[in-house]
Parts: sequence; C-alpha cells; structure tokens
Amino acid sequence: MADKKRDLIQGTLDLLILKTVAQAPIHGYGIAQRILITSKEILQVQQGSLYPALHRLQRKGLLKAEWRESGSGPMAKFYSLTTAGKKYFQEEMTEWQRYADAVALVLES
Amino acid sequence: MKFPWRRAESELEREIAHHLYQLTAEYQRQGYSRTEAQRLAKREFGGPEQTKEQCRDERRWAWLNGLRQDIVFGWRMMRRTPVVTAAAILSLALAIGANTAIVSLMDVVLWRDLPVPNPRQLVNVNWQGHGFPSEMADSASGTMYPSDDGWDVADFFSYPGFETMRGRLAGRASLAAYSFPDTVSVSFAGQASVAKQRAVSGNFLSTLQVQPELGRLLFESDDDKAAPATVVVSHRFWVNTLGAAPDVIGRTIAINNEQRIIAGVLASSFYGLMPGDATDLYAPLHHGYRRMPDGTSRLDVNRSWGISLIARRTAGYTESQMRPEIDAAFVSSWAAQPKNLQKAPHIRLEDGSHGLGFLRKDFRDPLLVLGGLVGLLLMIACSNIANLLLSRAAAREKEVATRVALGCSRLRLARQFLTESALLAVAGGVASIFVAYLTETLLSQFVLLRHGDSVPIPMSFNLRVLAFIAVTSLLALLLFGVFPAWRASQLATVEQLKKDSGRHKWNAGRILTLGQMAMSVVLVMSAVLFTRNLLAIQSADPGFDRRNMILFNLRPGTSGYDRSRLENFYFNLERRLSETQGVTDVGLSSIRPMNVGGRWDDLRMAGEPDINNVSVNGVTPNYLPLYSPRLVAGRNIEWIDIASSAKVAVISEDLARKLGGLSVLGKRFTFSEGPGRTGPEYEIVGIAPAMAATSMKDRPVVTWLPLDKESREVTVVLRTSQPPSMVLPAVRRTIAEIDRNLPLVDVITMEEQISKTLQRERMFATICSCFGVLALVLSIVGLYGVVAYNTARRSGEIGIRLALGAIPRNVIAMIIREGMTVAVLGLLLGLPVIWLGAKYVEKELFKMKPLDPATIVVSVGTLLAAALLAVVIPALRASSIQPAQTLRQD
Repeated sequence: MADKKRDLIQGTLDLLILKTVAQAPIHGYGIAQRILITSKEILQVQQGSLYPALHRLQRKGLLKAEWRESGSGPMAKFYSLTTAGKKYFQEEMTEWQRYADAVALVLES
Repeated sequence: MKFPWRRAESELEREIAHHLYQLTAEYQRQGYSRTEAQRLAKREFGGPEQTKEQCRDERRWAWLNGLRQDIVFGWRMMRRTPVVTAAAILSLALAIGANTAIVSLMDVVLWRDLPVPNPRQLVNVNWQGHGFPSEMADSASGTMYPSDDGWDVADFFSYPGFETMRGRLAGRASLAAYSFPDTVSVSFAGQASVAKQRAVSGNFLSTLQVQPELGRLLFESDDDKAAPATVVVSHRFWVNTLGAAPDVIGRTIAINNEQRIIAGVLASSFYGLMPGDATDLYAPLHHGYRRMPDGTSRLDVNRSWGISLIARRTAGYTESQMRPEIDAAFVSSWAAQPKNLQKAPHIRLEDGSHGLGFLRKDFRDPLLVLGGLVGLLLMIACSNIANLLLSRAAAREKEVATRVALGCSRLRLARQFLTESALLAVAGGVASIFVAYLTETLLSQFVLLRHGDSVPIPMSFNLRVLAFIAVTSLLALLLFGVFPAWRASQLATVEQLKKDSGRHKWNAGRILTLGQMAMSVVLVMSAVLFTRNLLAIQSADPGFDRRNMILFNLRPGTSGYDRSRLENFYFNLERRLSETQGVTDVGLSSIRPMNVGGRWDDLRMAGEPDINNVSVNGVTPNYLPLYSPRLVAGRNIEWIDIASSAKVAVISEDLARKLGGLSVLGKRFTFSEGPGRTGPEYEIVGIAPAMAATSMKDRPVVTWLPLDKESREVTVVLRTSQPPSMVLPAVRRTIAEIDRNLPLVDVITMEEQISKTLQRERMFATICSCFGVLALVLSIVGLYGVVAYNTARRSGEIGIRLALGAIPRNVIAMIIREGMTVAVLGLLLGLPVIWLGAKYVEKELFKMKPLDPATIVVSVGTLLAAALLAVVIPALRASSIQPAQTLRQD
C-alpha cells in the first residue's frame, strides 16, 4: 500500500485543499484524512506541506479559520472558504479541468 | 495583551497538537497501545519544528516577527564577543565620522550658497587680461591670479568705472562695490581694539539682501561725503566687542580715531562674502575707503583701481545678456584707451552664489585629495568588518547547519546575517556623529585663508550632514554586509560545508586583506609624505635664529598721532623697548615678516632692461641686525636715512648675485611704475645675508628701504634674552608707559608666526597621519584576524603535521610565509595607485617629490614590520598546538 501513495504534483495541493474545505468546515487532520480516503489512499498529503499551505491560503484571504470543538477531542482549528476563496476555487477548477483534458488528449492520441 | 505573532505562535502549537492527537487516536483505534500510538503519530508527522518554521514563513506578520527575532538574535551574537563588536563599531564610527567631516568641510568651502535670498542671482564681476593694465591704471589693490584658461583674472576696478557700469546695468542688475578688508583701530565705550572693515557702496548690503538683526542696513544716502558717517557691524562683532548691547544703534564708535554712528547689526546667519570672512564692520565707501598717508582718499581717481564688484541680476536677465553690456561700460570708463586692443582687459563674470572664490581656489584640490584618502579609509574599515563577519559566519557553521536542519530558509538565513551587519552599521553611524562633530571642530581651525586674516570656518552640523552619515552607513552596510550574508546562506548546504574547509588558498578573507593592505600603503605613505613635508619646511634654515623673537603691530597713525609726531614716536619706541629688561634687540618694519604676501615690486637697475620681482620692506637701523649681526658688504640703513627719507637700499645677497655680485654696491635702481614712467632712483648701500623674509616655503630676493617715517602702522620685532613669555609683560608695560591707549596687535612669537603660515601643510600632515595610523591599525588587525582564523581552521592539519614529525619551526615559517605573501602582494598592488596619485599631491609638496624614495622605504618598512607582528602571533600559537588535542576535536 505504501508504494502506491504518491506525492502530489506541484501546485495541485492548493486545489485539493480548497476542494476539501469547500464541502464543509474542516480541520487540518481532517483535510489530510479526507484526501487520503477520497483518493483511495493514493494521495498522501505530508504534514510538512499541509500546514504551510493552509497558512498561505489563509494569508491570501482564500480561507478563514475558527476554533471549535471537534467531536470528542480538544479544540481544533476549522478552515472554511471565504467569498474570494469560493471564486478562486471555481476559477482554478475550470483551469484544472482544461489542463487535465488537454493532457488526456495528448496521452490518448 | 498578545502580539499578533504571539497569538499565531500559540495557535500553531495547538493546531499541531490537535493533529498529533488525532493521529494518535487513529493508531489507538487500530489497536496500538497509547505510548506506541503516540510514537507512531510523531514519526508520521515528521519534524514539528520544520513544519512550524515553514508555517511562520507563510504568515502575515512573518516579516515583522522575523525582523524582531533577527535583531534580538543579532544583538545576542554581538554581545557574545563584546570586544570585537566594539572594535568594529569604533572603526566604522571613525571612518564614517572622518568621511563626514571632510565632506561637510567640502560642503562649506566648495558647495554651500551664501546665506542670502536667491544666491543664484549673484555674479562676481572680474576682468580678464594679460598682466597689469598699466595704460589705464597707476595703482591697484586687489588680487590677480592666472586662470586655467590662460588669462590673468583680477578683481579690482576704479570707482568711476564702477559708477559707469552700475548706471549702464540699472534696472536689469544691481551692481555693488566693496573693498578688501582693512584693519582698523576701534574704540567703543573706552575699550580699544582692532577690527576688520570693508568699505562698501551704499547699495552693497541691500544688493546682497542681508537682513539686519538690529537697526538698518546702509543706504545709498549714507555713501556720501556730506552724509553723517555711519557703520553697520557684523553679528560677531556686536557680540564679541560691543557686548551684544541691545542699545548700540545710534551710538558712536571711534574707527581709526573718527566718530561713526552705528546704524545696524547684521543677521547672525550672514558670515560675510565667503566662509571665514573676518569682516566686522561695513562702512560706506566715501567714509571707510582707505586713505593715503596724507589723509586723502583716492576713491574718485579713475587711474586708481582698488574696489571689487558683485552684482545681483534681476530674474530673466542672464549672465550672457549681462556680459556684453557691462563690458562695453567697463571699456568706456577707462582713463585712456590701450594701444593694443587685443591685450585689453574684458569683463569676466563668475557665479557668485557661493560668494568669493578664494577659499575654493585654495582648498579645492587639497580637499579633493583628502576626500579620496578618507574614502580609502572607509573602504579599509568596511573590508575589515566584512572579514570579521565572514569568519564569524564560518565559525557559526554548526549553528547554521542546525538552523537549516530545523527548516530555516536560505533567504531567512541571509537576512539574519544582513540584520547583524545592519546593527553594526547603525551603531557605527550613530557613533560617527560624535566623531564627525569632533573632527569638524578640529578641521575648521585648519582651513584659513592664506591671504589676509580670517576666522575659523563656521561649521554647522546640519541635516545634510546627518543625511550623509545615514547614506554612508547604508553604503558601508552594503559593502561589508551583503557578501558575508550571501556566503553564509551558501554555507547552508551540507555539501558546501564539507567542501569549504579552508582548503582554498585564496578565500574571500585573504582577498579582502590584500585589498586592505593595498589601500593602507597609500594612506600610510601619504601620512609619511606629508609629515616629512611639514618637517622639511619647518626645519629648513630661514637664515636666522627664530627662537626668542616676538612680533606685534602698533597703529599710532590710527590712534591719534599725526604725521609730524610719528617719526619721534618710532625713534622713542625703539629706544625705550631696547632698554626694557630681557630685550636684546628691537627693530621696526612696515611689513610684518614671515606673513606671506607683503609688498612686491619690479626692480630695474639703472640702464638695464631686466626686471627682478622683489619683496620690499621698510625698516629701522636695528631691524636687519636682529636677523644676522653682520652685513655681507656696505652699510646698514641709519636713522638719518629715515629722517631724510633718503633713497637708499640694502639688498639681499641672493639678489646681489642675480644683479652681478658685490659690484652692484653703490649702483642705482628704480621700481618699475608702468611703461614710460620712472619712480625715484635708489642707491644700493649695503648687501645683507639671504634669508626667508615672507615664508619658509619661498625665498624671494629682498630689498630693504628706510622705514617711511610717516607709516601709520609698524611691526615691532624684538629679540629677547629669555623666553618670550617672560619678557612680554615688561614689553607691555613699556608700551603702556609710552601711550596707554595704544593696543598691541597680533602679539606672537616668531615661531608661532612661522607655523601660522604652514596651516595647509599642517592640515595635510595631521589629517593624513591620523588616516595613516588608523589604516595601519585596521589593516593589521584585519591581517591578524585572517591569519589567526585560517590557522585555527587548519589546526587539525597542523596537528597531523606535528604528529607526523614536522618541526614546529617549519610550521611557523609556513604560516608566516602565507601571511606575508598576502601582505607583500597587497603592498605591490598599492604601488600603482600611489604612482597614479602622485601627480595630484605634487603641488601640495615643498621641496619633495611625491615618489620620494625615503618615504617609500619608511612606509613600506612600517607596514611590513607591522604585518610581520600580526602574522607571528598566530604562527607561534599554531606551533604550540597539541596534536592529540586537535585530533580529538574533530
């Protein structure tokens, strides 16, 4: 299983985070977990990249955060999209789609 | 209250803790024990410190927080080595301070505008020609100097000429006249003193647009023979002599024994027509212009040229429009038209915004030379600090490696090192303010006019100076900080760490030291050169014994003695002084000896075409024996010659040699007074030994005439049997007994008088010596640092060598060889600079060549000896390395 885990292609981490956060407010650990599960344990997000990315997105004003109870555990920092974040996410999604299609076209030709 | 970065920091802690908590919980769900789960969670998370550091870099307040951390950390690093830090700050402060002082002196002397409104409108009006315009002028008073473009430029005009030109320019430019400052006797409220007075046209002060502090300026109506005599005084005179009394306006002051009404006090900002201008009094031309011995003024004589001009243009009237107009008026005003129109003088306009140009002409080149030298000094100081930082960075390799391992970015690392440099630069800059202030005070004493009297240059410590300090500190920071910072960030990779372990023979530190040595040799050599130059002048034989001689001036002619009483007064004065206890000889002269300048004339032997320019002085019989007891031939001047105004002369031996030897005795000569005119004939009655009469630097041939018995002022020269200070009280008593109201002016010993004429030489010698010593110390410290550092890095290698049986002596020799190679190569590198710079300093030297062999030997020797000292200490230390110990270290 460990072999299958892939490091992320540069630049896609932001998009994955935004997508994950867009569904519901979620804390850092949750983001990593959800990406791992959704990708059928192929995409593993390193903590070392996750938190800097979260802080970067927050500084850019795309994410906002608040401290909340998290189930049974201690207080956790929950991230959610700002209005600017939603807009940015939409644009990036379209852009990514175009890119992926283009790559697919070339690879399948 | 929490700072933004503090809050962010604790949030980050909690966020990571939460993540670990969740991970641990996950592992526990999978069936691991609590401790096992915690261990696994930690392993999976990786280094929390790295993550934290990266998150910090992403944060909004990151830069501010980082800066704060950098400064705190930098300060801690500096405090760890207080001596090194203090030395770095001190050397930086000295270098920046010295630079600031020189630059602010340049600012005052070369660049600063006159403190009047719209100085750009001012124009100095001169004329250019070839030689003295003897066809239209009989006598002149002013200055004439050869310009760079091949003219003789002069600043003297006739008063009628001034009026013509002024009329022509009316409405477009205001033309004003002023005289060279005269020394006058002043008596106010029972106190007698002397002062400098400029006679000026009535519109002079209003043309300059000076503001009065009290009272009013001079008006046109004051400049009239019939008007009551008025005077406007400078702020300095008002404070120093009039006691800053607020009620001086309208009171009378006696100037040269004539009553004047004080009309106004000028604003304190106005220092005169140039920095250092000593003018105390401004009197209208028709009252204050200097008189002939018979009391008449030659102001209205068209053939007498003795006033200088300055103009203020109205807005829109350019210099190129003004020149032809004023020139036409100038030509039309002459008493006679010259035969050769090609050689006739024409108006030359020069920018007057800085005032008169004497200081600039005298000090421009010296200041530029000093500016260059002080720049080198700064570079030496900077490379020293760069060296220090480099080795400090290298010594911190382990720390750097640790920080990189903990996730510190390379940029952040470079910034940390740059911050430490910036701290040094700021500290150095602040400290340099004090250095600059002290140096300026010292420097301003040196910059004095060579001709005439002047006061120390007013140095104001202004914003511009502070801005200069700030900019210089910043430049210094870039110079010494950027490279080490870059290097430090490069050290960060482990590969680099391994590679760079002192194996490069020519690492950055050595190259910096090499450059330092090259620059120091220039500075040390300048120091030796200018010091030897000063010593050479001072120790030159003036042709007489300069010890135990006193000089002072007396001005009976301006203190109420009329012409008929003067001869008797002088005779009596000489006799009474010679009877004074401690005085062995007394002589009087009309020109103060060793005062540069004086009276010069063209001497022509009767029936011969050749002209010799000679320095002329009027003296009493006892004057020449003061200097040398015997004449070479003939007789001395005698009282009977003075009493009968005999046309006799004693000439100096070197003049006699030029004129054909001892046979000139008894022959006659005249002083040239322009073509077609001959003055009275003088008979040569004696030949005196050659001596330095006007300065130690140039020895003009001299002619002594009998003292004019109606001189209004004389210089008294005394030779004493005891030190002058012991004799002076008795001398003062004697003068007081003769006349209580006669002030002794400029009392000074001959040795002081001589050193007064050597201001420039002393300035160069003193400043360059300071620079030289500083440069020597800095570069030796630099060399020591580099050698010590390199040796320390190689202690492992040296330990192995010693363990394998190397003889300590060979180790010493090896280190000395390597150190001295740097020093010698540096010296060699500096020599071309010296060779290039030689021609710039040549004209500052007296009787010496800039590439003087003895100077080169002394300077190079000093540097090499000092370098050897710097290298030997680390070498000796290296040789005592214990092999076992160093091998254990790594």
